[in-house]
Amino acid sequence: MKEELPPRLTTALDELRLTLDRAAELAKQIESQPKPGSPETAAELQSRLADVESDRLELSARLADYEHQVGRLMNLYVATYQLHATLDPAEVQSTIAEIAINLLGAERFVLLFWKENATQCEIALSQGLAQDTSGQYGGGVYAGGDAMVDATLSDGVLRMGPLDGSDAVAAVPLTVQGTTVGALVLLRLFPHKAALKLEDRDLLDLIAAHAASALFAARVYSTTDRKLKTLESLVKLVRR
Amino acid sequence: MKPRKVLVVDDSKLLHRMYEVMLRQVVLLHAYDGQAGLELLRKSSDIDLVLLDLNMPVMSGLEFLAVAKADAQLAKVPVIIVTTEGSEAQTKRGLEAGAIAYLTKPFDGTRLANVIARLETP
Repeated sequence: MKEELPPRLTTALDELRLTLDRAAELAKQIESQPKPGSPETAAELQSRLADVESDRLELSARLADYEHQVGRLMNLYVATYQLHATLDPAEVQSTIAEIAINLLGAERFVLLFWKENATQCEIALSQGLAQDTSGQYGGGVYAGGDAMVDATLSDGVLRMGPLDGSDAVAAVPLTVQGTTVGALVLLRLFPHKAALKLEDRDLLDLIAAHAASALFAARVYSTTDRKLKTLESLVKLVRR
Repeated sequence: MKPRKVLVVDDSKLLHRMYEVMLRQVVLLHAYDGQAGLELLRKSSDIDLVLLDLNMPVMSGLEFLAVAKADAQLAKVPVIIVTTEGSEAQTKRGLEAGAIAYLTKPFDGTRLANVIARLETP
């Protein structure tokens, strides 16, 4: 005769069976997992390490790129700020020269402006011209003959060398309200700066857009201020 | 050592403005030639870095370094040269004169920040 077990005990046995089954299942799972130090674990760790290293390299590259962009923006901001920071024409010219030297790395350059008769360009500012052997920049005027400079002065388009028939590194038009009033010509870079870089183009564009207008505004202010002072002196003289 | 007061000795106003934008957390003292730079360096004993140009009127950067490094008190202040002079001979001259780093223009803020960061970690 089969012995009948009380219902509570049956339930407890069922639970015990279920627990044992679960334990057996877990044991199988653990058995099937690679043991520490096994080739599978090492490979997995190696793969994770490679992923982490790849992420690290990507982040480093992004950080370097970010720093580079910040540097570019800082240069542009400071150049713009400084160009418009004064109403003295001589100081604006000096700022253009400082941008050429300190931010673009130009060793030799000239700043040209069309004369009022518009047949010749005068040299408003220059650096390192004593070493220039082209003979195109003498007597305070640009004699013409450099293909890049002539083209830029004529059509107001920024050009970067090398270009046939030109020794210039870059010719940057100076425009005010759509009219080309002159050009900044970079003739030579410092020996430790091999060539203009892509980001230098931003600075050249900035000079093209801002330098002439800043200089024009400064000249207008200077002329107006001088006239005002003359008039004030006259008024004082008349009142006496 | 994180620099808190930096002396900028450079004849370019543009560069002074650049340092102002770049080193916003730092007190900057400005000199436009070596002579004025030396005077400021003597007056302010708490300057902990000098950013020095080489080609300047009145007194050049190398002359500035020669005087500063001959004075036991001033010699302690680290000097970073930032200049257009990029030849190997000039670099050697600058470092031998006592500069801790020699950077060439065109100005590169990232390079300068890296050099200053290396100063910060002893």
